[in-house]
Amino acid sequence: MADQQGSQAPSGGGQGGGYGSSRPHSSGPGGGGGRPSRDGGGPGGGAGPRKGGKRQFFRKRKVCRFCVDKIDYIDYKKADMLNAFVQDRGKILPRRMTGTCSRHQRWLCEAIKRARNIALLSFASEL
Amino acid sequence: MEERLYDLIFICRPATPEDEIAKIMKTLEQVIADHKGTIVKNENWGTKRLAYRVAKNREGIFIYLQIISTDGEIVKELERRLKVFEPVIKYQTVRLDEEMKLQKKLVARRELKLSRKPRRTAPPAAAAPAAPMAPPAPPAEPAPAAS
Repeated sequence: MADQQGSQAPSGGGQGGGYGSSRPHSSGPGGGGGRPSRDGGGPGGGAGPRKGGKRQFFRKRKVCRFCVDKIDYIDYKKADMLNAFVQDRGKILPRRMTGTCSRHQRWLCEAIKRARNIALLSFASEL
Repeated sequence: MEERLYDLIFICRPATPEDEIAKIMKTLEQVIADHKGTIVKNENWGTKRLAYRVAKNREGIFIYLQIISTDGEIVKELERRLKVFEPVIKYQTVRLDEEMKLQKKLVARRELKLSRKPRRTAPPAAAAPAAPMAPPAPPAEPAPAAS
């Protein structure tokens, strides 16, 4: 683990330092909530031109949060965590919004459905 | 016979007295013992808000059990008992051992990958002009860089 990080740091240190550091930074807000990043596509795209200045519609690539955290099992009992992947009305957020990879989305889907069944998550919120 | 891992959660009415829950637990333990199962985890999550109304209740007492058993009939029996208990408003049993097996496999694969990774990342690091910066970092790096 330690030497892996060590080997990565020097290679990026030369020229891609700014680019490398901007990536994890941008994945933070994207992971924080899928929807805001999409609604705020303008500001998100605005971050692109600041660096590259090429395209207005450039959207930063979303990274699967579960892959980043190296999660192999999504626990249906962690309702607070699952809540982040559900709309206000209780719908499961699609992959294109959250950036979850297909495998983790599959597991997530299963976990959300289990949590709903035992009243940890709502099927549809009453409004 | 292979062992199977089950998660069992049941919800009681919020007004259920402690001794009533203890009685239910005792019965369940008896059933588990009869089927030669073992309780791995036993947690009382206390009163929690339900995400939706269940039997006109907005809150419920959550009790979580994790069971290992070789006998599949245990689930049938536990659920039958839970259905009979009046204070229990909801229950769910989930079989988890296959997912745990997959998780173990993935963890093992990741460790294998990690142990193999330095070799794979070394060539680009050596090819890049960052080579002079490499030596201070890891002891494994200088060898490919020198070659």
